[in-house]
Amino acid sequence: MANEPILDVRNVYKSFGKVYALEDTSLRVYPHEIVGVVGENGAGKTTLMKTLVGVHSPDKGEWYHNGIRVPFPKDPKDAARKGISIVYQERGVVPSLQVYQFLFLGNEEKYIGKFGLQIPKMKNAAKEILDEFHIKCNIEDFMFDLPLSTQKMIEIAKAVLNIRLEQNKENADSVIILDEPTAPLNIEERNELLDEIVRLKKHSSFVFVTHIMQEVIEYMDRVIVLRDGRQVAEYDMATNKVTEKELVRMIVGKDVEEQYQSSRPKNYIEQSGNALSAINLSKNGSYYDVSFNLYKAECLGFWGSAGSGKSELIKTIAGIKGYDDGCLMIQGKKTKNRELPHTRLRKGIGYFSGETVNELFYDWPITKNISILNIEKIVTRFIHLLKFKAEKAMAAGIVEQLRIRTPNTVTAISSLSGGNKQKVTVGKWLERKPDILLLEDPTIGIDVGARDDIYKTILDMKSQGISMILVSDDPKEYSTLCDRIVLMQQGKAERTILKEQLNEVIQA
Amino acid sequence: MSTASRERKPNFFYNIAKNYPVVVIFIVLVILFSILYHERFLSPANLTATLRQFVTLILFSIGPTFVMLLGSMDQSFIGIWMLGSALLWILTPILGPISLLVFPLFGIASGLLIGLIHVKLRVPSFILTLSVLIVYWGLTVIIVQGNPRIVPGYEFLTADFIPFIPTPFLYSIVIILLAVFIVKRTKLGTYFYAIGSNEEGARLAGIDVGKYKIVAFTLSGFFSGIGSIVLFQHLGGTVPVSFSMNNVVRPLIAIILGGTPLSGGRGGPQRTILGALTFSVIYRGLYLSALDAEVIDLIVGLILIVSIVISSRGGELRGVEIA
Amino acid sequence: MINNNNTKGSMNKMFSERIFTSTRIPLLVVVVVICIFQMVNPTFLSYQGIVTLVYAMSYFLIVACGLTFVVMMGSFDFSGISIMKLSALICVLYIENFGLWVIPIALLVCAAIGFINGILVAKLSVPSFMATLGISIVVDGIALLTSKGFLHLMNDEGFRSISTTFIAGIPSVFYWSIAIWLLCTGLAVLTPFGRRTYAIGANSRAAALSGINIDRQRILVFTLSGTLAGAAGVFYMSQLGGGSVEIGGQMMIPLFASVVAGGTSLRGGSGGPQNTLLGVIIITWIQSGLRMLGTGLDTQMVVLGIIAIAMSIATTDRNKLMRSIVK
Repeated sequence: MANEPILDVRNVYKSFGKVYALEDTSLRVYPHEIVGVVGENGAGKTTLMKTLVGVHSPDKGEWYHNGIRVPFPKDPKDAARKGISIVYQERGVVPSLQVYQFLFLGNEEKYIGKFGLQIPKMKNAAKEILDEFHIKCNIEDFMFDLPLSTQKMIEIAKAVLNIRLEQNKENADSVIILDEPTAPLNIEERNELLDEIVRLKKHSSFVFVTHIMQEVIEYMDRVIVLRDGRQVAEYDMATNKVTEKELVRMIVGKDVEEQYQSSRPKNYIEQSGNALSAINLSKNGSYYDVSFNLYKAECLGFWGSAGSGKSELIKTIAGIKGYDDGCLMIQGKKTKNRELPHTRLRKGIGYFSGETVNELFYDWPITKNISILNIEKIVTRFIHLLKFKAEKAMAAGIVEQLRIRTPNTVTAISSLSGGNKQKVTVGKWLERKPDILLLEDPTIGIDVGARDDIYKTILDMKSQGISMILVSDDPKEYSTLCDRIVLMQQGKAERTILKEQLNEVIQA
Repeated sequence: MSTASRERKPNFFYNIAKNYPVVVIFIVLVILFSILYHERFLSPANLTATLRQFVTLILFSIGPTFVMLLGSMDQSFIGIWMLGSALLWILTPILGPISLLVFPLFGIASGLLIGLIHVKLRVPSFILTLSVLIVYWGLTVIIVQGNPRIVPGYEFLTADFIPFIPTPFLYSIVIILLAVFIVKRTKLGTYFYAIGSNEEGARLAGIDVGKYKIVAFTLSGFFSGIGSIVLFQHLGGTVPVSFSMNNVVRPLIAIILGGTPLSGGRGGPQRTILGALTFSVIYRGLYLSALDAEVIDLIVGLILIVSIVISSRGGELRGVEIA
Repeated sequence: MINNNNTKGSMNKMFSERIFTSTRIPLLVVVVVICIFQMVNPTFLSYQGIVTLVYAMSYFLIVACGLTFVVMMGSFDFSGISIMKLSALICVLYIENFGLWVIPIALLVCAAIGFINGILVAKLSVPSFMATLGISIVVDGIALLTSKGFLHLMNDEGFRSISTTFIAGIPSVFYWSIAIWLLCTGLAVLTPFGRRTYAIGANSRAAALSGINIDRQRILVFTLSGTLAGAAGVFYMSQLGGGSVEIGGQMMIPLFASVVAGGTSLRGGSGGPQNTLLGVIIITWIQSGLRMLGTGLDTQMVVLGIIAIAMSIATTDRNKLMRSIVK
């Protein structure tokens, strides 16, 4: 690792509007190494990667090649010419193509002969590359028939091939960016893929974006921690062995601290009765044998890295995804598998996520966005006509209560700021008051002020007797909102702790 | 495992049945009709008629197959045949036989226009091509003033030179081979499959999706155009003036039966051959039965519904995730 | 009335563009169309001209309202014209057996066909345009089969008088269709049903997460569309008293053109029956204007086809669609 870096990017700045997504970040990659990049959601990982492959152009920054300053790549093809290629987290695979077709997709030019594509030649080249990468599949298999880990390997091979074809060199130096490649895989597939990637170090270097600390500790050569768009730490794993706890502390920034006094005594919660319980709930590839009880008026958090199954679990409870085995009971009554969200909502389960695109009707005014969930409250008694005055009053109440900044209640959602959009989402659930509210990343991507307002509202709702389940990436959110926290790891619920213990778990 | 199993015979048939269910349907139908109307169904006259039916279907359906690979829809092919014939009627007295070129040229222009409107102005292709089709039909009727004009001088196109095998069938083989070549042996084909299968993934692989969509529509127009050269004489050598949705629907059924689903990404011209063949057999079988023409229409409609229901199956389509 | 188009407070740029495309263009077109045809043919706005227009417009408005609900929801219904023909045929064939009870029977049959459309789209996940295209072929087949292709005349005076009684100088079918249009507008704007329909068109994922039973709503809307097409068929038969219905998919074009010309975008989530009235007026006036100029069905189709394409381009908000996939 002593020789020249093959990727050397220094002091990159990138802003979107007034917000800096990247500030003074540098990245160096040497031949034959794996560099881990870790950070919270919104820490700037994706922006950095997209800058490297020419999807975003940086505001400021320097790119050196063999010590000479060169411009940043204009587009992904240009990046490939510079030896950089990316494997996206999802949606990169084209299912209905055969393996060899997919490998050369977008790079067929080299294989066009007098009579069209030289398919035998392509197949031979594909076979060679599959052998080189130890990928066990037939070049004529269809992508959708292959297991996810093999698909990922083929994508990696495609990225390397892309660089070679673009540079027209057999053994070009290449840096492959892997954006959370292990997120959709189960444990065995994950280890298999990681072992393969380590073996591939002799062909290429890797930049490995991940949320899973174990992967970093066990497999990376170096790791870079990003926080709020800045590089806050760098560890060389060979000389400076870092612990998982230290990494998490660097990622989160500061010790998790108490902000609101909201927790209730444990015995008080358990006396209040069961709102929701799961017995041995399993979904293949996501989570296994998860059991828990959610008491009335408590907030239960599921803590774990991305890929721990927490996100699939909360979506199962919401009715967005199904489960394979086990049983889910609402107020002691069994539910059917495959119930859709509207049935679950009728039974008292509401779901909201921070992704306002999936929650709100952007063209609609605030009034309609709030009333769509509370339509029973604003209809006349017999023939169910809408009462527009009541609708307006309802929206006005929410706007005032949550201090939503808007000229009036009929402003279209699309013209509100991110924080205010999210407040409207919270507002419609505040008006609805379901028995159980599922929160997935409730404050993702919004500013501190709006975040505090939303926390206050959610805690208010909890004190009114609404049970909640929280899934998030932000430990502060857990300590603010939750009473108990279930620790999840690789699809299994490890143990349940009180929120006061979360600090110890993260730091211990 | 897969290589080993492919060598054994029973699995070979199983694979065929699994990947090409239409082949099974085809064989069953041929046996069924041969028993039901023995002598008549396998008679030379009926076989020739089946081939003629096949030619009509395949020449109409080969163009739109390209577009349906993308998961879009092109219904303008009947319009290209109609308006192209009308243009031929105008041009023949002026230019002579060379005016046959009006079909492919008009097809390319029309396909290019549709592709541009669809991609740049983002109008859904189904309704766009339907409107275009109606406009072409109206223009045709205006040009020929409502009369099915005869355009003489092109009889050589369909003159027999091998007994019992309609000459248009020979032409259509050439056209089919060209289409299969494009899908199988050029990068265009791979791109069409890729876009239909996962548009976002194709974009991430560096493919200019908009451009290749326009190319697909243009190819569709081109193939409808060269198909229409043959079809023009094959279907009577007159300018068609009556419009029926059935003409539009039957080639679409052939495509879907063949195995190109409405969502795109699978199938292709080579599969459409099977679909067209099967549909011709169904149609001839129905024709030989004593059923009324209306009942046959009815059954054709039902076949359409059943085949699209079957081809829309598969994949995780339940729940909110469809959104 | 709370309606995107009528809110005063919003000064948002995109919003005003929306208003422009959805209301002002159609109004402008109406005025221009009237002026042109009035200049070319002075009898255009005469009493007789208007009565003809009302006849041509009324049944058309009813079936267009049904299609509007489907388009609002982001789907498409190709079978409107076929269902209308079938309903007209049921009326004329069975009026002697059932008397005026034939009307509810026809409506029931049409509702059932709409229901099947809905099942195909919602439960079997078939793209709506192909599902309804297939159904329309089947319905056409049934219609041909029952009528044997003959011309049937409606002799029942009671049935005829539903449409042809003149009230205040205008045939009663006008009042019927306006009443149905008002009901549809009310349904779209004033009820949770309408709100849910818009919601599915605007953002079906958000609609599902807001507790809307999407499958059920889709089936209901397709059933409503079928029923309205059936009602249109009843009025059609009662005002014309027979005659062969022009058969073919081309009749879909004026229908579709009037829905988009009103300002209901094919992307769903906007417009509504209130807009479709304007669209129907534009299209029928253009049609009858062209007819008065002595042009045939062919020219009308060319003009209407181009209008349909132009209006679907105009009602598509491209800024919003840059990243979405259009098939």
